[in-house]
Amino acid sequence: MTTRRTERTGGATGGSLRRDGMRRFARNRIAVGGCLFLAVMAALSLCAPVVAPYAYDAQDLSLGATFASGKHWLGTDILGRDLFTRILYGGRVTFAVGVCATLVSVLIGVAWGSIAGWAGGKTDTVMMRFVDIAYAFPFTIFVIILMVFFERSLLLLFMAIGAVEWLTMARIVRGQVMALRQREFVEVAIGLGLSRTRIVLRHILPNIAGPVIVYATLTIPAVMLLEAFLSFLGLGVQPPASSWGILIREGAESMEEYPWLLVFPGILLSATLFSLNFIGDGLRDAFDPRTTRE
Amino acid sequence: MQRRHVMNQINVIQLPLFSLLSFLLSCSQKTTPVERGISSQTLLIANQTEPQDLDPHIVTGVPEFHIMEALFEGLVIAEPKELQPVPGVARSWDLAADGLTWTFHLRNDAVWSNGDRVTAGDFRFSYQRILSPNLGSEYAYMHFCIEGAEAYNKGTITDFSKVGVDALDDTTLVMRLCRPTPYFLSLLAHHSFFPVHPATILKFGKIDTRGTVWTRPENFTGNGPFRLAAWEINRIIAVKKSETYWDRSSVRLREIDFFPIDNQQTEERSFRTGGVHVTANLAPGKIEWYRANRPEALRTDPYLGTYFYVVNVTKPPLDDPAVRRALSLAVDRAAIVRHILKGGQPPATCYTPPGTGGYHADSAVRFDTTEAKRLLAKAGYGPGGRSFPAVELLYNTSETHHTVAQAVQQMWKRHLGIEVTLVNQEWKVYLASKQRGRFGIARMGWIGDYNDPMTFLDMWVKDGGNNNSGWSHTRYDSLIAVAAATSDREARFAAFREAEALLLDEMPIVPVYFYTNVYLLHPAVKGWDPNLLNIHNYKYVYLEK
Repeated sequence: MTTRRTERTGGATGGSLRRDGMRRFARNRIAVGGCLFLAVMAALSLCAPVVAPYAYDAQDLSLGATFASGKHWLGTDILGRDLFTRILYGGRVTFAVGVCATLVSVLIGVAWGSIAGWAGGKTDTVMMRFVDIAYAFPFTIFVIILMVFFERSLLLLFMAIGAVEWLTMARIVRGQVMALRQREFVEVAIGLGLSRTRIVLRHILPNIAGPVIVYATLTIPAVMLLEAFLSFLGLGVQPPASSWGILIREGAESMEEYPWLLVFPGILLSATLFSLNFIGDGLRDAFDPRTTRE
Repeated sequence: MQRRHVMNQINVIQLPLFSLLSFLLSCSQKTTPVERGISSQTLLIANQTEPQDLDPHIVTGVPEFHIMEALFEGLVIAEPKELQPVPGVARSWDLAADGLTWTFHLRNDAVWSNGDRVTAGDFRFSYQRILSPNLGSEYAYMHFCIEGAEAYNKGTITDFSKVGVDALDDTTLVMRLCRPTPYFLSLLAHHSFFPVHPATILKFGKIDTRGTVWTRPENFTGNGPFRLAAWEINRIIAVKKSETYWDRSSVRLREIDFFPIDNQQTEERSFRTGGVHVTANLAPGKIEWYRANRPEALRTDPYLGTYFYVVNVTKPPLDDPAVRRALSLAVDRAAIVRHILKGGQPPATCYTPPGTGGYHADSAVRFDTTEAKRLLAKAGYGPGGRSFPAVELLYNTSETHHTVAQAVQQMWKRHLGIEVTLVNQEWKVYLASKQRGRFGIARMGWIGDYNDPMTFLDMWVKDGGNNNSGWSHTRYDSLIAVAAATSDREARFAAFREAEALLLDEMPIVPVYFYTNVYLLHPAVKGWDPNLLNIHNYKYVYLEK
């Protein structure tokens, strides 16, 4: 297959490009495996109240920490809570943070980057210097300050993480938009007298969807890790609710006595992050028009 | 003394690095620091945290107290087994027939680490210093049994000669008390009664300047069995045997190193790899292992302290005593100590630890969910009543507090249908929130400063420095005043018993359990006697294989 250099200018040829991409993606077994794994995990977490054998905060102090058994498939923690149940419920938070924070970062990043890239000149300079400054700002401290000043809530956690994750996205989008601006089809669109908003929304954005989607799938694991890290510091969701980050932190505190409390959530988080990365790589290989393929 | 369990967060980078380092160290060297310490009489102590300061009139915490004991000596010292007062700087003392005037005869050979003699005037200077309003010492109230001390500290009198502390000559110190204080001699062994060297203090500031550099190793002057040799922030505090201490022939240790290790996992690992002789704590999860595999290293000493929740009685719905009683009745203390703490802690049946100075309070705290539900319903909450407003449970960051709080949260949810939110804060932030009343329910621990019920009960009087509950009761205050004014044991204990019954009926506090001191001690450490206050005078301690 030769390298495709055709740009989309509307809906007409887009379908085949997308179909090609899907075909390439479907041939990538690791990426498809990742998709399946994620789908199963997401479904299980989503249906946690139905699937989970226990309530997520039900304690059995006299039972204490026990290893996996027929009754508790992944064992129990120090307070006698079922680990499998807690992992399912924790997955809800972890997935929700991953998806929501990524959406926030995509929205801000795409808007910011396309405005800067399209406007160019002084607007671009000012906007991108702002991004540079924000880059230089230690983001952990920023999130911690947010958490300290505002009431702690899951929504704030989404916002805070999204607000620090959009910077790279803005840069990528800006570069793409600047490159596309020079293209003939955009010049034609300008020549036809289309409004700027219409050109950006209808002609530019669809063309950068590939890199954006690819980068977004790579942002999700970064965000999940960040949530795990913030929960590790005690800034994430509050007990008795849990996330995988919290489970791992608590597991790490007692990893010598009760290793399974660290191992099981650790395996799941790693598998999820691997899956997301494989999917991201697969999507990039399949859709990025600039990747050379045989 | 405020009890903290220090932060227990595992630093993601430090942890593997530390394990690797200790592994490499244990491979490359045949002898561990602990073994070398035994042959050189160097005691290595894991001491929780970097101290606030090394000024005996400023510090308030337990880790600081352990360093103070090495660097200073008061008029009397606590004998390590029964904590009875034995001569320190004072050779002997008499109590006048009025029961209020104490005369201390100081020894001639007590000297500071710079060679100056320790005089009665130095003690007078020191007590003037801690009572100075500008110094703002948190422990000034320990001195209020001395005539005029409270007025001087509050600024109503400014002439220290009106305070009952007189130095008749270099070796005679007279103190007049305003009330008979049966535990007065025990107070003198506390670090707030330790002397400081006047010339050193005045060289670096005024008598009441806080936080000067006099405590730096190059400036430091002390009168204890050890002198300050090195203080590297966040790394080590090293003290070496003093060559000027009057009783230096009984001091067998040559050096003590205090390490600020604020993580229970780290200090346990350090103990296991031969890094320290003594740890400050032991994580509950490790107790079983040590009991089974290294019982000789595991110590569970009785400890004069209570772990409890303080309730902010100014915040509805906690302003209703019935609600507070219901909360207390729904806490299954036996399950908490047996399944979470595992260190032999007795579940609380009252507030003052039983046997404090021979005093036993009536048992008033129990676990009864039916009664709890009834009380809550009576207060108008629960099924058929109003829904319970949001309440926050505050604790300082620590694995143990976190686990206990989650258990209590679940008990209240299961038995009373009440949802509380858990809030954990770093030690200093937590102290500030508590002080400013920005909490609903907060975890607290109180360790006795001396072996008398007064140290537990006098903190709940109106406007008491450590009474953060907002609760006060005139009857309670007058009972504490009655107990303070008499030296008759029966009358005092009767007043205490009535006061404590009142406290536990009103329930501004929810006692959970009585502390035990669970830690690791290398078998080569001798003279480290278990005692209620966790006081280990280092002059009785030595190392022997």
